[in-house]
Amino acid sequence: MIRSAKLFAVLALVLAAGSALAADSGLKGSGRYGAAGCGLGSLIFQDQPGMVQILAATTNGTFGSQTFGITTGTSNCGAGMTAAGTRNFVDANKDALAKDMSRGQGETIGALSVLAQCKDSAQVGAALQSNFKAIVPSDKATADEITSKLIETLQADKALGCQIAG
Amino acid sequence: MRRALALLLAAALPCAARGEAPDPTYLPDLQARARDLHLGTSSGWLRLGHWRPRPFGGWKGEADGPAFYRAPGGQTDPEAELQATLAAFFDAAPKADELDDALCRFPARFAFLVRELGIDLGRLPLRPCPRQQEFLGRVMARGATLVFSSWYLNNPASAFGHTFLRLNKAGEALGGKTFELLDTGVDYSANVDTGNAVAYAVKGLFGLFRGQFNHYAYYYKVREYADYESRDLWEYDLALDPGEVAMLVAHLWELGGTWFDYWYLDENCSYHVLGALEAAAPRLELLRHVGRYVVLPSDTVQALYRNPGLVRRVHYRPSIRTQLDARFARLGPAGREAALALADDAAAPLPAGLPEPEVVGSLDAAADLVDVRHGKAILMGKDDVMARRRQAILTRRAALAVPSPPLDLTLPQQRRPDLGHGSGRLELGAGASRRDGALLVLDLRLAFHDLLDPPAGYPHTAQIEFADLRLRWAPRPRRLELDEGWLVRITSLSALTRLEMRPSWKARFGAVTVRDAGCPGCLVADLEVGGGLAALGLGPADLLVTGDAELQGAPGLAGFRGRGVRLGLGPSGLLRLTAGDRLALAVEGKWRWLPEAAPRQAYLLRAEARLHLGPRLSVALEARRTPLDDEALGLLHLFY
Repeated sequence: MIRSAKLFAVLALVLAAGSALAADSGLKGSGRYGAAGCGLGSLIFQDQPGMVQILAATTNGTFGSQTFGITTGTSNCGAGMTAAGTRNFVDANKDALAKDMSRGQGETIGALSVLAQCKDSAQVGAALQSNFKAIVPSDKATADEITSKLIETLQADKALGCQIAG
Repeated sequence: MRRALALLLAAALPCAARGEAPDPTYLPDLQARARDLHLGTSSGWLRLGHWRPRPFGGWKGEADGPAFYRAPGGQTDPEAELQATLAAFFDAAPKADELDDALCRFPARFAFLVRELGIDLGRLPLRPCPRQQEFLGRVMARGATLVFSSWYLNNPASAFGHTFLRLNKAGEALGGKTFELLDTGVDYSANVDTGNAVAYAVKGLFGLFRGQFNHYAYYYKVREYADYESRDLWEYDLALDPGEVAMLVAHLWELGGTWFDYWYLDENCSYHVLGALEAAAPRLELLRHVGRYVVLPSDTVQALYRNPGLVRRVHYRPSIRTQLDARFARLGPAGREAALALADDAAAPLPAGLPEPEVVGSLDAAADLVDVRHGKAILMGKDDVMARRRQAILTRRAALAVPSPPLDLTLPQQRRPDLGHGSGRLELGAGASRRDGALLVLDLRLAFHDLLDPPAGYPHTAQIEFADLRLRWAPRPRRLELDEGWLVRITSLSALTRLEMRPSWKARFGAVTVRDAGCPGCLVADLEVGGGLAALGLGPADLLVTGDAELQGAPGLAGFRGRGVRLGLGPSGLLRLTAGDRLALAVEGKWRWLPEAAPRQAYLLRAEARLHLGPRLSVALEARRTPLDDEALGLLHLFY
């Protein structure tokens, strides 16, 4: 009992030190993202010959992508409570987010509410739905464009109580 | 507990801040204590280093990256590795790369040794490890979930599933799913460096890829698997205490800094995920419950349940395809027609008087339908027309300004991967044939599932089998034959629905004993492919009709123009009836035209009935008719 408490204490210490750093920078990305962006197309799906694509399901191979290595630390495509983290989220979830926005609800809207630290995801959903055409004007809208319009919408409506910085 | 933590903080932080050097006289004490306790061969240490016993004695570490071992022979000598690790902790000289400092590379080993040896952190102070801290802080794990991504039937290679971990920022799902997307997923996968299919297969089977642990936002996996590969996700929340969760994250950092030779059959994604869990929580027994030579992801999910209380809850995350089916099912006939029309033309007029919930539902279903059909092409920018149509549907939907009701699908108990039958199957049977008299049959299948096996947890419309051999012994003529031996045998049935029309197909490769006049009793190599259509769910029945091409070859075969190879072409049909989970019946027939061979034609008729008595046991009756023989068998099926 005492031994496991000590083990926990040591690890909690290590984690707590990390969390202290995290309070400033942990959940937040470094703001940099890979040149290819954080979208699914560039990171997850690449053009491979058909047979290899089929086989890829067997190893779930990542085709040499180092972006997600644990110690190589280039995973800047993470969720972060800043505009950059929101931008990454939009980039990776663009199509699903557009669909949820059109429906006024959905898991991506819930996650967005957490990222932007808003009060009520149902209200956020309604606000994004009514501003859909402004936020996603066309199928060619980029993640950058969608993110800035989205943040604008969230900031404009004070009733939503979002904390996202522009 | 909190007091201990506060004490440690008080003790350690000032020391770290002052950058005090470790006390070199302390090291020999610790090393001696470790030797006395035989810590180097203790289960906790062995699991942390992933050493496994070798067949004739000794140990071999599974990690293959040299930096994972501080001792020169560390991979085969866990005791030396422990001694070297302790020594390395005392090496506080500044390093160019943080990971060259053992304290920074091995936080889990450090925590383990601190606990087991009662290390005084005043004499071995912590050192700053910014990258490690950044990772631990970013992950901020309070709990862990094992995620199983299910199969997508049109891609048989995905049939075995994939398992990975999710490190949860909230101990339990907080208020539903909103937090989960932002959690961290961790998996072990191969670093593939070839685009050649054959090289891919060979390298995967023979450990020639490097496997590494990766981490990413969980939303990447949800999008990839659920949206673009139509795979359901099953999430098993694990009951780990905070120390074990912390140990897991620390150990994943250790594993992240090395690589393993990726062996598709045994040391694959599922194997190493379980290995990481076992290292973090020594009370768990996981790898003991999976196969020795073949580790299937579904087996690893079942292994969780061999540890009572380990699985706290199961969550089901339906794929887009499952969601689409559910949305369609909830619409009335007018709504369904509307959805299909919208998927073809986003501006299609909706029937007057369609109630608003149906309008909302049909637009939502249309959006999902476009995604199922064209989602990946749209994502990769390869289909502008569909991208515009999708946009138009979404815009039209947003203009309604009402939220959609949540879909909330109940967890389909039938499909839970942890309820599946064992992946290996042994059959023992006895019967008689008209020509040979009494028969004894032994059949062994390495993996996976056929159309009559117990349905729970497996794809209901796919048959995927690896290494299935049937031996047939006829005592009267004293003949032992390999009745059939298949390296791989796959049948994939696709429904023909209004939502999609996809062909069904089958393929098999192996060897079979000829039962027609072409070479009676000869064992020939056999390759068969077929394509056709299936009608599923006609009451209890499923029907498959295909046109096949079959190639057989052996020295004595009276084949094409007298050669030892012959081609067979012709139709085959399969009718399957299922009554609940317990009873399954199949009738199969095929006819082959053998051009320019002797004889000109051959056929096969088969009927089989199976009764499932329990998770491990079934009984079966089989009857078969071929040009030269008829036989009937009764068999016992044992799953392991």
